[in-house]
Amino acid sequence: MSLLDVVLFLPLLGFLALLILPAGVSRSAALGISLVIFVLSLGLIGTVTAAPDAYGFEGNTPWINTPEIHYHIGLDGLGLWLVILSTLLTPIAILVSWKYIEQRVQLFYAFLLLLEFGVIGVFVSLDLFLFYVFWEVSLVPMYFLIGIWGHDRRIYAAVKFFLYTMAGSVLMLAAIIFLYTQAGTFDYVDILNQLRSGRIVLSAQAEMLLFLAFFLSFAIKVPLFPLHTWLPDAHVEAPTAGSIMLASVMLKMGTYGLVRFCLPLFPGAAHRAAGWIVGLAIVGIIYGALVAMVQPNMKKLVAYSSVSHLGFVVLGIFSFTQAGLDGAVYQMLNHGISTGALFMLVGFMYERRHSLEIAAYGGVATPAPHLAIVFLITTLASIGLPMLNNFVGEYLVLQGAAQVSMASAAAAAVGVILSACYMLWLYQRAFYGRASESLAHHMPDLSKREWIAVVPLLILMLWMGIYTQTFLPAISARNASILQEVNRSATAGVPSPSGVSPEVANAR
Amino acid sequence: MPVSFPAGVEYLRILPEIILTLAGVLIMLLEAVWSDQRRTVFAPISLAALAAALWAAMASSYGPAFSSMLAIGGSATFFRALVIVVGLLAVLASSEYLTRERANGAEYYALILFSVVGQCVMVAANDLLMVFVGLEIASIASYVLAGYLRDDPRNNEAALKYFLLGSFATAFLLYGVAWMYGLTGSTNLSIIREVLLSSGAPSLGLTGVAAALIFVGLAFKISAAPFQIWAPDVYQGAPAPVSAFLSAGPKAAAFAVLVIFMVHFGATAEQLQPVLWACALASMVIGNFAAIQQSNIKRLLAYSSIAHAGYVLVAVTANSEIGAAAVMFYMAAYALTNIGAFAVVTHVARKGERFVSMSDFAGLSRRQPAMAAMLALFLLSLIGVPLTGGFFGKFYIFKAALDSHLVWLTVLGLLNSAVAAYYYLRVLVLMYFHEPGEGAEELPAAGASLQIAVYACAIGTLVLGILPDWVLDYASKAALK
Amino acid sequence: MITSTHYLVLGGLLALIGTLGVLTRRNVVVILMSIELILNAANLNLVAFARELNQIQGQVFAVFVIAIAVAEASVGLGILIALFRNKETVDAGEIDLLKW
Repeated sequence: MSLLDVVLFLPLLGFLALLILPAGVSRSAALGISLVIFVLSLGLIGTVTAAPDAYGFEGNTPWINTPEIHYHIGLDGLGLWLVILSTLLTPIAILVSWKYIEQRVQLFYAFLLLLEFGVIGVFVSLDLFLFYVFWEVSLVPMYFLIGIWGHDRRIYAAVKFFLYTMAGSVLMLAAIIFLYTQAGTFDYVDILNQLRSGRIVLSAQAEMLLFLAFFLSFAIKVPLFPLHTWLPDAHVEAPTAGSIMLASVMLKMGTYGLVRFCLPLFPGAAHRAAGWIVGLAIVGIIYGALVAMVQPNMKKLVAYSSVSHLGFVVLGIFSFTQAGLDGAVYQMLNHGISTGALFMLVGFMYERRHSLEIAAYGGVATPAPHLAIVFLITTLASIGLPMLNNFVGEYLVLQGAAQVSMASAAAAAVGVILSACYMLWLYQRAFYGRASESLAHHMPDLSKREWIAVVPLLILMLWMGIYTQTFLPAISARNASILQEVNRSATAGVPSPSGVSPEVANAR
Repeated sequence: MPVSFPAGVEYLRILPEIILTLAGVLIMLLEAVWSDQRRTVFAPISLAALAAALWAAMASSYGPAFSSMLAIGGSATFFRALVIVVGLLAVLASSEYLTRERANGAEYYALILFSVVGQCVMVAANDLLMVFVGLEIASIASYVLAGYLRDDPRNNEAALKYFLLGSFATAFLLYGVAWMYGLTGSTNLSIIREVLLSSGAPSLGLTGVAAALIFVGLAFKISAAPFQIWAPDVYQGAPAPVSAFLSAGPKAAAFAVLVIFMVHFGATAEQLQPVLWACALASMVIGNFAAIQQSNIKRLLAYSSIAHAGYVLVAVTANSEIGAAAVMFYMAAYALTNIGAFAVVTHVARKGERFVSMSDFAGLSRRQPAMAAMLALFLLSLIGVPLTGGFFGKFYIFKAALDSHLVWLTVLGLLNSAVAAYYYLRVLVLMYFHEPGEGAEELPAAGASLQIAVYACAIGTLVLGILPDWVLDYASKAALK
Repeated sequence: MITSTHYLVLGGLLALIGTLGVLTRRNVVVILMSIELILNAANLNLVAFARELNQIQGQVFAVFVIAIAVAEASVGLGILIALFRNKETVDAGEIDLLKW
């Protein structure tokens, strides 16, 4: 039993424990458990960064015999930071909900831990079937989080969220089963080897259909324009903790899936479809930014900014360049941190004023200077100011895109400018000006608990903006091997069977 | 022809049927001679009989029974165990209902036992005669069960509709059976199989018509479109625990017979593949899209059961050993899930079944969190969310379909299951996202036996979802003939 | 000379009449009788085939069918009587408490 197993299953144990423990202690218990998980997950870093290109903590135990499904997990440079992001944001989400959640407290924290279990599982699964299981498992708690503790239109948002994701994922299931009928296994590494060695050859049409089945389900989750319509609803209606987990972790499941599965498994189709996808990504970047600009609702604004930011990630992924891919993965983490922080701060403001309308605020900086400063740093990080985290990611993505097509890089750069516009305008409207009497009365500054929740994110914004060496080498190494995979297969056309290595041949 | 009596071991192989029949008769006799106070023992007696029958079914050796009229093999053992477990759960889930309606009569238990006997005979049949006899024993008992409350017009109506369409279907089946007998010269399925495989086989056109007639009869029983019209009315009108029983036991038995025919009819059955394909798709589409519009939870579950019959038909269409194993697994998962769901409905409906509208489930998670959580689990299993039995059931079905190159049917089926999520979610929404209605009167705690049934179903659903091997290994071996 | 074909044709006609009766008639008693017609068509087939094949199986089958049909009909009539007590009708069109 490796450390990774422990990190993966502790949330599940926590979920079960919370259902049994008396409701009075569930808040503290959840916080304690999630902190333990976080601390343990830090232990994953050393081993994985030492050999970023291999799978660390690999575990492979048979789960089901017919058809053969393995509990096969492992961690590499791609999944590592996403796992840490999940384990970090869970205790933060719990802290944020400390006072806000008053009803059915026990169930709320239990679902948060179940969600953590699902998302960590997604990031460490090396078996397609196992991946699908975790993918769906993460869906259920989020559905309840939105539906029970959300705002007025929560039911509509929750159902829409569930159905969108479900519709995408059934196609992925069909594709996974189809791959199984071809390869005789669900094991990701094994299938990859077989594809590489030419043991299974997919016709161009089949490859494209499989690619699209996977891509569609990931694109819904990302969400890529025009499949994004569930996101603003889900974000606006979700409670703060739900928004944080949704934006910071769950959306990453989609982009992670693109990098982990879509590119290496179906390189030919990925190359052929890249033009269209890049086009959609750019439309998404600009559309998201423009819609964000006119939003009167803060949460909706941040939600549309997510559509724009994740457009960058998709753009980077489908540039098929080292810089673009590195930037995309880095940007996933950045977006998780800065947008998570934004949702948290908006949530703090909502707890004080009970409104998400920008118009209800104005002059907040006067009664709550600390909140204003923190919000400003987060805003600057989000719009990509140098020395802060998003700058690195966006720069790399643009660099990668430019290597392929100057035009697409230029178009995407417009998105960067627009993001500065809407974020700064939001800041100006909400924090500057004269505070009205009632607002000043209801706007105490950050409490100690709120500080504790937000400080780790602020530190990470700076750290990731200044010292990328902590994070990037592990990501780059894995990306390099993925790219090698993608570009070699794509240039060679149909892979030749001559490359069968003896170990692979013996493995089956 | 020399008169030959079955050997002793052959009696052992039909021990489950013998136990159940004797227990049923005993219960009827006891009611006649015992006073009213001792009525409470009927449920324990039937539970004991079912448990003993379950043991006998599991322990039975393989081989022919009753002069080759029955054949006990892996598949028969699996399905016999399944229908007996269904009977057990149905009895457990019924006692609260019967007490509540002051209808705790012996005949209820006896009828369930007889119906289970009929199903056991069906799934083990090796002769067309036994298929017919088993089907009729199972059906006649369930007609009466559907109308168990004689004075309730809804029960009357459900029973009458079930009876009319059910016996119409049986008549069709019988007419097809008669033709199959005439064409092949035997009613024994093993011999029919040999004749159909031999060089002197009758023309495929004629046997195809006979098989089609038989299929129509069975399609009624499994409520596959376009022969599904009875199901919503019957499930809605019948007592909720009876609906639970009907949606699981007889359906599983009919599917078992369908699989037996697919195996024995060979090329004749393969001809029917386009028909099965169309029926599977039609059932999924009609079931799911009609369910979306329902406001009565029993009716919703009825339409959902039509859709689920469609899923299982996909596996039957695949016509392979993997498909047969998938049918077994799915029926086991579906039976547990559906009985559990109906059991919760039984509980919430209260006396006279006044509370069976969807809105009566509003805020159930506040009033009875445990029951709501269990129903949520069953609904998630019906949706097909991983780590529940329903998920693996669907997974195996669509895997079998893809193995048989039914790509389009798979894609359409999976899309259907996404549509289905919508109406199951509506119930979840009501239970968890709404507050209890103003006039929601106090809901008493569930009775002990009903709770046992619900929790047993829940545990079964989870076990099938986390460790499906336990059942699937068995089903796969059973499907290898 | 009456051959098996004659019996089979007659059986087919009976089955057809029965099916049409079930589908078109509204009176539950008539529907019941129509179902019995189909059962008898099957019986006729079974006996005719048994004679043709010079076997006893078909005849035995027919005896079983007769016995079971009686049980079925009695249950059906019982259900109908229970319904008639409550609703005072045997017209399937008026049995509409549940959406048909």
